[in-house]
This record gives sequence, structure tokens and C-alpha cells, in this order.
Amino acid sequence: MNITLLMLGGAAGSILRYLLGKAVMSAVPNPPFPTAMLVVNILGALGLGLFIGFNYSSVPFDIYSDTLYLTIGLGFFGAFTTFSTFSVEAFQLLEKRRLGACFAYITLSFAGSLLLFAVGFFLVS
Amino acid sequence: MFKIIVAIGIGGALGTLLRYGINLSTLATGLPLGTVIENLSGSLLLGALTGFFALRTPKEWVKAGLGVGLCGGYTTFSTIASDTFLLADTSSTSAVALYITITLFGGVLLAFAGFLLGERIAKSSKQPQRGQHL
Repeated sequence: MNITLLMLGGAAGSILRYLLGKAVMSAVPNPPFPTAMLVVNILGALGLGLFIGFNYSSVPFDIYSDTLYLTIGLGFFGAFTTFSTFSVEAFQLLEKRRLGACFAYITLSFAGSLLLFAVGFFLVS
Repeated sequence: MFKIIVAIGIGGALGTLLRYGINLSTLATGLPLGTVIENLSGSLLLGALTGFFALRTPKEWVKAGLGVGLCGGYTTFSTIASDTFLLADTSSTSAVALYITITLFGGVLLAFAGFLLGERIAKSSKQPQRGQHL
């Protein structure tokens, strides 16, 4: 049952990432750097921060029997955000010698997700 | 569109299951090693798919299912944020710095390596060309 919910969470997160990414791309047609996954990853970090802050006293590590965490934390938010697309986009910016855009993309993704995770966590914990 | 959504859903579910399995099998280390393994190998795989598909044009649902679904669901960014806070709580600042450095540089480097690999595979494997008599 846990595994089914985990996979459903992952499926829902992935589909929502795709739809939101498309929406961002049509709202910002010519961004200075890949905006769609930046928005998705930062929003997902905020969501995970809120979810963990609301339900747990600290960031959980060893709770792989917790259905709620498996479904929403690991499943939904885990799959809603993505790292592989981030890496490939960063590499493609480097390949095009767009160093400034690459630096901005990496910094905003990392700092943004850390910051918004913290905001979400401390807002409700 | 429906086909694409279904492919992304299935790929995302499988990627998530794979991520869960790796997390579970690295739990004994007490470190967020699983996330590092998933994010680095997922970057390599998506790089390879990108390189391969740059030379071969697949059906849109195949590309979306493997890239957006499987690789997307297998790798994660939100966990990097939670892992960083977990490490800051339980380990040292240098552990946090090491985690971020390996993830970041490793990810971009492996995406690049994967891209070259994917291109090479696409070039070396035979594909019947349209209009070409074999």
C-alpha cells in the first residue's frame, strides 16, 4: 500500500512539474536563463519545507515506514522537483558560453531552494 | 497530449520507486548518500538521452516519459534543501559544503559526459534512413 501511494505521489508530482513548466514557458517565452525548472524547484522546496515543518519537529531521515512522508515528501515533492533537468540545462548554458546565465541559474536554484525551504519550515514549525 | 501525460506519470512513478529503493539501501550509512547517487546518475542518464535524441528524433511521448517522467522523478531538488538542513543539524559545515559541491559539480559534469555518450551511441548504432536503399 505504501509503495502504491509513493508511486502515485511521484506520478502526480511529475505530471504537475510538466504542466507548471509548460505554463511558465508560455508566460516567459524568452527567459534569460531556464526559468521553468527554477520556478518549479523553488516552489517545490517551499512546499517540502511547509510540509515537513507542519508535520515533523525536524527534517526526518529514518522514517521509511511513514505513509504520509513517503507519499507527499518523498513521492510528490521529491518528483515534483528535479535535478537532472537542472544539470542538463546548466551544462547547455556552459556549452553556449553563457557563463553569466549559467552562474545565475545555478546560484538562484540552490540559494533559492535552500532559502524557501527554510522559510516554509520555520513558518509553520 | 494525453499520451504524453500518461507516459510522464508512469515514468515519474518508476523513477520515484527507484529513488526510494536507493534511499532505503543507503540508509545504514546515516548520510544522505542516496540523494547524491540518484542526482548524479540521473544527470548522466538525462545527459545521455539528450545527446541521443539530439541526433535521433523520438516520438514525443517516449522522450517525455523517459526525460520528464523517469529522470525527473528519479532525481530531486527539494531533497537537496532538506538534506542540507539535516546535515547542518547532524554533521559539520564541511559536510554540508562537500554535499553541495559534489552534487553541483558532479551533476553538471555527468550531464556533459552523458551528452557525449548519448551522441556517440546515436552515431554508432545503425538507423535505417528514409529513402535509403539498404
